[in-house]
Amino acid sequence: MTKQQQQRANLLQGTLDMLVLRTLLYGPAHGHQIGKHIQRTTNDFLQMQHGSLYPALHRLERRGWVSSKWETAPDRNREFKYYRLTEKGKKQLVAEESQWKQMAEAVARVMWPAAEES
Amino acid sequence: MRWWQIEKRNADLERELESDLAQEEEEQRENGMSAEEARYAAKRVFGNTALIREQTHEAWGWAMFERFWQDVRYAARQLRRSPGFSAVAVATLALGIGATTAIFTLVYDVMLRPLPFAQADRLVTIEEKIAEWSNIYPTLPVSANHFTFWQQHNRSFDSIAVMRQDSAPLGASGHPLQVGVLAATPGIFSVLQVEPNLGRAFNASEGQEGQDRVVVLMYDLWREQFGSDPGIEGKSIRLDGFPYTVVGVMPQSFHMPSLQTMATIGNTNRPLPVGVLEPLAFSKDVLAEDMGDLNYFGLGRLRAGVSVAAAKAELDALQHTISDHLAADEKATLSTALTPFQEQLVGNNRKPLMILLVAVAGLLLVGCVNVANLLLARAVGQKHQMAVASALGARRAALVRMALRETAVLAVAGGGLGVLLAAGVVPAMQQYLPASLDFRGPLHLDWAGAGCALLLALLATLLAGAAPAFMVSSTAPNEVLHTESRLASESRGSRRARRVLVGIEVAISVALVLMSGLLTTSLMKLMAVDRGFTTERTLTAMIDLPTESYPDTQHRSAFYRDVLGRMERLPGVEHAAITSVLPLTGDSWGDMARAAGDTRPVTQLPLESFRWVSPEYFATIHLQLLSGRFFSESDWGRNVALISEKTAKTLWPGKDPIGQQFSRGDPKEEKPFTVVGVVADARTISLAKPDPMMVYVPYWYRCQFVAGLVVRTHQDPSAMANAIRQTIWSVDRSVPVPAMRTLGGVVADSVANQRFEMDLLLLFAVSALFLAGLGIYGVITYSVVQRYREIGLRIALGAQRASVYRLVLRDGLLPVVAGAAAGVALAFGMARLVSSLLFQVSPYDPALAAGAVCVLLAVGITGCLLPARRAASVEPMRALRTE
Repeated sequence: MTKQQQQRANLLQGTLDMLVLRTLLYGPAHGHQIGKHIQRTTNDFLQMQHGSLYPALHRLERRGWVSSKWETAPDRNREFKYYRLTEKGKKQLVAEESQWKQMAEAVARVMWPAAEES
Repeated sequence: MRWWQIEKRNADLERELESDLAQEEEEQRENGMSAEEARYAAKRVFGNTALIREQTHEAWGWAMFERFWQDVRYAARQLRRSPGFSAVAVATLALGIGATTAIFTLVYDVMLRPLPFAQADRLVTIEEKIAEWSNIYPTLPVSANHFTFWQQHNRSFDSIAVMRQDSAPLGASGHPLQVGVLAATPGIFSVLQVEPNLGRAFNASEGQEGQDRVVVLMYDLWREQFGSDPGIEGKSIRLDGFPYTVVGVMPQSFHMPSLQTMATIGNTNRPLPVGVLEPLAFSKDVLAEDMGDLNYFGLGRLRAGVSVAAAKAELDALQHTISDHLAADEKATLSTALTPFQEQLVGNNRKPLMILLVAVAGLLLVGCVNVANLLLARAVGQKHQMAVASALGARRAALVRMALRETAVLAVAGGGLGVLLAAGVVPAMQQYLPASLDFRGPLHLDWAGAGCALLLALLATLLAGAAPAFMVSSTAPNEVLHTESRLASESRGSRRARRVLVGIEVAISVALVLMSGLLTTSLMKLMAVDRGFTTERTLTAMIDLPTESYPDTQHRSAFYRDVLGRMERLPGVEHAAITSVLPLTGDSWGDMARAAGDTRPVTQLPLESFRWVSPEYFATIHLQLLSGRFFSESDWGRNVALISEKTAKTLWPGKDPIGQQFSRGDPKEEKPFTVVGVVADARTISLAKPDPMMVYVPYWYRCQFVAGLVVRTHQDPSAMANAIRQTIWSVDRSVPVPAMRTLGGVVADSVANQRFEMDLLLLFAVSALFLAGLGIYGVITYSVVQRYREIGLRIALGAQRASVYRLVLRDGLLPVVAGAAAGVALAFGMARLVSSLLFQVSPYDPALAAGAVCVLLAVGITGCLLPARRAASVEPMRALRTE
């Protein structure tokens, strides 16, 4: 892996965590649902890589931001591993959201200075 | 996350992925795909599940650990594939590390572990030196008079004390226990900086005659004999037949080395541990003697900041003052010898221990070299594999890791096993501790030693293991891959390296074999030496009479006469006798015999070793009579004596000694002795050297409360032990009779240390030989395999099988011969170290050196022969066709 690639992956990783946490704000979901939801909501702009989704979920769980439990899906006769946002996770989401906002604003100020002034 | 949850975690992840995959598949099917299409589509969406798994594992945070486990598993698999190699490597390392650790533990315990006393480095032993006798007794114990003088005038010591250790019966009626008694001046407590746990130490007044019937018990005796009675203080116990008041009990942590093992004169090889402390009080008469008995072991605590040399200078000045005031007939030049306590305890055990340490280090080195050699041979084989990995993009670090994982597993397995081995062996070594140092409780494995040995072995293995990785990373992989591996023989450098390694192994092995050969020959000669007495069917025991009922020679000799008379009548007993000192258990009474008419001052008289014995003593141990007669019971009460040949020649050169008279002490006070016979010189003090001048006086003249009993029987002596004990008790039930030993056992015990050293060295030598053989075999086998095609070609071109043998043997024996020569040189270089331990063997003995070289050559040839046969049986057609 080159240095450049690594940086992009890191950036995405941080964002992905936030997106997953935000998705879980609607209620518990399993990995597949989360992936599908992000993909659908962004109109397939963000192609969900399972290779990053599952590590992200397990990382979030390790940090205590989400908890997991095996439950039977209401409409299907099968058990899924449902992830649920914890209190700590909610706080983290707020923090990450405001951080992201600041970042986006900062980027916007550089990119479109005129728009800012008007 | 805990590592043991890995499996559970993995199953969980597997289930999660599966359920989500199934869900995706279902959704695809709902979009109208066929079942098979849906499955493939779902798999496409998920991508590489192995990768997902791996990346998720990373998120769990034990990727490092997992990689490590993977390495271990891989290495274990590799090693299982070549079990012979692995077993040899692990066993070699285990042996080397185990032996080194065990010996190091012993050496550390004996020589380096601080003595269990406060500021033990300030404790020094004090001995006297008398220039006139220095050729026989380089140092002597301390006299009461001189000690008192030092105590009053010295400024170098915080305190000094003198002491004497003997044994006495404890308890009164029926079969009393024999305990070790340390009689010491009250200063002992401040010298050692210890206080009793219970009660108090002796006070100064208890160091005076008449007030000295008090004891302080050692912890073990208090626990075992008095049931840890907390109210023991003030109670009366019976020791040596007398009532003593217990004033204190020492703490459990206090141990006292046995002084008998260190005294210049007097040495029993199995001392009783000290059980009781009593005050040592001197009578006025004893104190008044300017040159009284030199009897006591002196110990002092140096004042802080005072050096041993300064203290010695001061004591020597005091000695000078004493010398100046000596009467004319006692003129002696006095000085002192001060030795740090620990050094004194180690005594002459230092050298054998150093030799063992050197030998075991040699063995460890041979082991490391052997493993390195084996690994290097393997490394060449792995070169190809490494080159492939390198060509596929593995970096240098990865290659090194790849190379190291196997050796690391080997090293850890070998090291672990070695430490286990050492832990198992160490407790068994306790019995080989020098008696003077075996007072501190059980030996424990020394972790520092284990760590050092382990570290050395790890270093050797890892360095050798990393070699292939460096070999490959320094050359372009395609170079390695392009050369046809079967044709390519080992690089010149690595071959030379492995030969040098074999040479080193052989050199150390030869040196070890030679050293153990020297010690073995020496011990054999020592055991075979004409000792002047015989040991067959002879039992011995030490008898300890209570002083209370046997206060003087008259009472004691009556008792012995009775016992010996009854014993002679026992069926099966040939002879029975008593002696002041059993053969080969030391010396106890040095004295000056003044031949009638000799008027020299006492210090210029020849010094003899005196024994008091019963008449049957000579017949019992078969000590040969040269002229005159033995004394007999009919001489009872008369001052008669037997002397050894050496004494006869010194006292009455050129004259017939029979009928000559001599006196000890003042001839006016005591009737002189008449020599009635001359016996042969023997070796009753040490097997290693002939006895000094001996004088045997009858037991009715003098007999002390400790005596050695010697009984020669007609039949198996062990059957007689009980009858002998009963005979003693039939005279007096209050006499303790400790274990009986055969005289042969006593003789064997006198060389127990030498035997231990020899056994260990022999073990090391055999191990080193075995390893060297293995090393030679490994190297030659490998080179034969490498030269398979070359040899095939030679045979195809008409080479005779015999010449192939020659080729291989020459190849293999070259490092052996060079190594053997170096080994002999090495052993000769260390000759100075061993020569003082040898008996009638020169460290440069040519026959033994040649023998050691021959042994190694034989091992080398054996190691070469198998691969040589393999080489000679190469089928040329097959060899050339392969690959």
